[in-house]
Amino acid sequence: MVGKQKKVLHLFISLVLVLTLLAACSNNSKTNNEPSPAPSKSTTTEGTNAEGNESSISGIDTSERVELQFYMLGNAPKDLDKVEAQVNEWLLEDLNATVKFNYTTWTDWDQKYRLLLSTGQDVDLIFTAEWTQYQQYAKNGAFMRLDELLPVAAPKLYEFVPQDMWEAVKIDGNIYTVPATYKEYVTGGFVWREDLRVKHNLPKPVDIETFEAYLAGIKQNEPNIQPLAVGQDVGATLEDAYLDFQRQRVGAMPYGLHASYSDPSNIVGYWGSEEHLTDLKRYKSWADNGYFSKNELNETDGNQDKLTNGTAAAMLSDNPTRYNSVLNQMKALHPDWDLAYHPYGLTLGYATPVHPIHNGFAVPKNSKKAERALAFYELMVTDKRYNLLTQYGFEDVNYTVEDGYYKMIGDNTTNGFVREAMNGWAWRNPEYMIFEPSYDGVEAIFNELDKIQVPDIYTGFAEDYTPYQAERAALEQVEKQYLYPLMAGLVDDVEDGLKTFMEKANQAGLEKIQESYKQQWLQYLQESGHN
Amino acid sequence: MKIKEDGATKWFRFIAYVVVLTGSVLCLLPFLLIISASLTSNEEIVREGYNLIPSSFTLDAYKIVFMFPEDLLRAYGVTTFVTIVGTAIGLLLMTMAGYVLQRKDFKYRNFFSFFIYFTTLFGGGLVPYYMLITNYLKFGNTMNALIWPSLMTPFLIILMRSFIHSAVPDEVVESAKIDGANDFVIYYRVVLPLAVPGLATVGLFLALHYWNDWFHSALFINDTAKYQLQFYLYNIINTSNFLNSIGAGAGVVLSGPVPSESMKMAMAVVVTGPILLLYPFIQRYFVKGLTIGAVKG
Amino acid sequence: MSKTMVHKKKGLLHELNKNKILFLMLLPTLLYFLINNYVPMIGIYYAFVQFDFHSTNMFQMAFIGLKNFEFLWKSGKLIQLTINTIGYNIAFIVLVNGLAISVAVLLSELRGKWFKKITQSILFLPYFVSFVILSVIVFNLFNYDQGVLNTVLEKLGAEPINLYAKPTAWIFLIIIFFLWKNFGYSMVIYLASITGISEEYYEAAKIDGANIFQRSWHITLPMLKNTFVILLLFALGGIMKGQFDLFYQMVGNNGLLFSTTDILDTYVYRSLRVTFDMGMATAAGVYQSIFGFALIMTVNTIIRKINKDYALF
Repeated sequence: MVGKQKKVLHLFISLVLVLTLLAACSNNSKTNNEPSPAPSKSTTTEGTNAEGNESSISGIDTSERVELQFYMLGNAPKDLDKVEAQVNEWLLEDLNATVKFNYTTWTDWDQKYRLLLSTGQDVDLIFTAEWTQYQQYAKNGAFMRLDELLPVAAPKLYEFVPQDMWEAVKIDGNIYTVPATYKEYVTGGFVWREDLRVKHNLPKPVDIETFEAYLAGIKQNEPNIQPLAVGQDVGATLEDAYLDFQRQRVGAMPYGLHASYSDPSNIVGYWGSEEHLTDLKRYKSWADNGYFSKNELNETDGNQDKLTNGTAAAMLSDNPTRYNSVLNQMKALHPDWDLAYHPYGLTLGYATPVHPIHNGFAVPKNSKKAERALAFYELMVTDKRYNLLTQYGFEDVNYTVEDGYYKMIGDNTTNGFVREAMNGWAWRNPEYMIFEPSYDGVEAIFNELDKIQVPDIYTGFAEDYTPYQAERAALEQVEKQYLYPLMAGLVDDVEDGLKTFMEKANQAGLEKIQESYKQQWLQYLQESGHN
Repeated sequence: MKIKEDGATKWFRFIAYVVVLTGSVLCLLPFLLIISASLTSNEEIVREGYNLIPSSFTLDAYKIVFMFPEDLLRAYGVTTFVTIVGTAIGLLLMTMAGYVLQRKDFKYRNFFSFFIYFTTLFGGGLVPYYMLITNYLKFGNTMNALIWPSLMTPFLIILMRSFIHSAVPDEVVESAKIDGANDFVIYYRVVLPLAVPGLATVGLFLALHYWNDWFHSALFINDTAKYQLQFYLYNIINTSNFLNSIGAGAGVVLSGPVPSESMKMAMAVVVTGPILLLYPFIQRYFVKGLTIGAVKG
Repeated sequence: MSKTMVHKKKGLLHELNKNKILFLMLLPTLLYFLINNYVPMIGIYYAFVQFDFHSTNMFQMAFIGLKNFEFLWKSGKLIQLTINTIGYNIAFIVLVNGLAISVAVLLSELRGKWFKKITQSILFLPYFVSFVILSVIVFNLFNYDQGVLNTVLEKLGAEPINLYAKPTAWIFLIIIFFLWKNFGYSMVIYLASITGISEEYYEAAKIDGANIFQRSWHITLPMLKNTFVILLLFALGGIMKGQFDLFYQMVGNNGLLFSTTDILDTYVYRSLRVTFDMGMATAAGVYQSIFGFALIMTVNTIIRKINKDYALF
């Protein structure tokens, strides 16, 4: 019986092998056949590039009609179809092309983003940002080099974006994305319930000490309110924010490395250091004092929600824009409550506006319509008709302009295209932008930060983690398992807990990672002249 | 049929009632909690947690779920269509396969069973599958991408095989053969009617699979009009989770409705509705003796 | 050897001819699995290459041997993860089947059409509660400050418990919630199987004077063996995979609980969340598959030895 089964198994395995080989061959031949137009096409595009360089005045060839595939993150607005139809009407005339606006939704967007880029899909334009790993994708060759294409296909856009921004988005010396030119700040700041602060005569939080005093005051006077909202991701809401402020780091360096903004080449190990221990003890004291809950790591409510609902009284950090939107939500629910904000920059004496990498659009490597895509993107940014329509919808249907302010018609449930419904962060054009009156508050903060602005020198760095990716993955787990509970104040003996964490981290290969990262970072500083 | 119940039977029934009732309460309580929460204002949930009886009654959560009724109805439509078509095709293919694989005179039945089973053990992962669906089968952004991937599962085929095996005695097939019926006719005329409980079970599971599917919408569908119900609602939750999880540094601020705790609960109620209709319908076939009647008839 | 091959070939052709309708009926299914499952298996090769965007297909990517598997043991957790995964799955298999079989047997003997219908539907309800929602409910039951459990304890004058800092408690909680959500599904399968049992057996037993307990024990239970074996074999094949959503949603980022609640799937997810390297993700899948494969071949061989009819293949 066993013998028979073995035979069946043999037969089966050989069949699988044959099938796999067949499939592999057919796949091979397919992949060889199918992209065969691709290489030839890409050579033709390269050809036209070369030609374009020689006689760039003539612009691009638009004789053949194409459909551009445009990919943005997030959810499609309800009235996207109407906007798309109007854009296509114009676009056919301007470039003999149409565009399909595709949205990834926020469900598994990161996975989808990767699939789109790595499986040779038909994508002509796709959003990029540092939080979508632009630097890594660009470094690994997922995007098309745009240096030669831009002056030919999108000369106006090429002019429109300042030269230093083009420089800033370069990865290994090449341009892979078209940056947004709108200047904003996404740096942190303390957020707290101003009405409660006034009521109990507490100090205004401008640094950690005053912030602590505020938390203590709330704990003492408002037994039903949790002083500080932290949430599941203690790494971001607690440690990142704390380090940005207290240790003025140059950027959110991974692997427990630290360098301060004022001395970026002095990169040191933060994990396991005296400073690290001090900071962890501070978080622990917050937890022990009951400033935040024992169960933050499993919290299911969002921090912003807890503020607007009155269950929490402060956040260690948020950016000006989001603070403003939380404030407005709260005002709508509880007109007599109030929020206030203190940007870290005002205490630290410097603030970094967003890096040009923060919002951009790239052309994937596989695109066969790169020229037309860039020409279209130029229209989106620089042509007022296109820009207004794709940012705000149809005037008098979706919005009106009153005293220079944007005014939505109807509300979120009746309006099919709210302000910036297409998530058009990347193609914002400061010259055409219109804002809601509530934006004045954000602008006031931005104006203050403008006075102390310094460039972001961290975001332009593209780490190459291939040499240590196994260690990196292992470390990720160690961090969650041993460091997060420490940060959340759940380990009684902090010193001992830190020791355990360092032990496990070193076992996972922390030193190897840190060494390699340091080297890359110093090299980047030297090459980029930030030294 | 009235048979006098003996003592043992009484005891058995008593135990059965106790167990089933306890189980039902345990299953029902959390559900009541969900229904209650879906009728409570979000603020109150965040402040006071969940209660079995809503302390303040509001339909706000359902208003958000039904904010764009035509979108929701369309999503219902897509799911219903995909469920019906997928279940019909899947059942046809799986009953045929199950029937063939349990035939004793079909020499390679074990080999082919293994061929099918093997796919539960090994898979190529998401990337090649994504390429298969979009690049080779060209199902991207079509209903096919929602129907095709769940059409058959090895588990349901093997289950079908077993149901048919136990419901259809070999002698019945043999005698039909002697009568000159070919294999398909036997399957159609004799086997299918006998295997009704199995059909109902496998059909129910397949339908549920389609009904609960959101993953394939997430992967393959770009067109809002082709979203499945589960995905349409799940995506609202995910949007709020995303906004909670994205760091301040990303600077993402979205306008639009704020999904909420009570909304999640309302969603659970909305998607569960159909089972309350479907399951009792399926249950009709779970009656003892039905198979025997069919054989005799 | 060659002789047997020839013989085999003839056998196959002969069989094809003899049962051509049966083959035709099976063909669509075979084609489906060939296309849908076997063709993408080529992707297993990703586990052995360094993924990059410069190559047009994976055969051009650099072959790096077992390097993609390294991250599995680099953290020193592989053994513990494997034990956790298998342990939970065994508990799930035993308890779900035990509970599902008992309830199905009890339910099948009940009279009262409406009672039966309603309770069956109710027992199946939890299957529809997604883990996202379940985690919200669980958090509201057990969180330290406002959870239902601690509110009750406080009222009784007892000390509040911080369950989210007690790893051992979660072994039970996770198993209980899995049972709660999933036993209805298996129960329906067993109910359907019971339906298929011929009434004649019971009549004969009644005449022999067997009471209802004896009938259930000696007739119903043995007749469910076949179904049980199927459920068992499928569960065993996936013993290294497991219920990602359950664990991930319940435990979240709470590292304190990882020692007892981390399984391979959650580990891989957490590790690759930031990197998401295709090679490493595939490698993890291959590890799980090989383990499941070895296990299933062993178990199937044993079952075959005991009773050929119950074996899957």
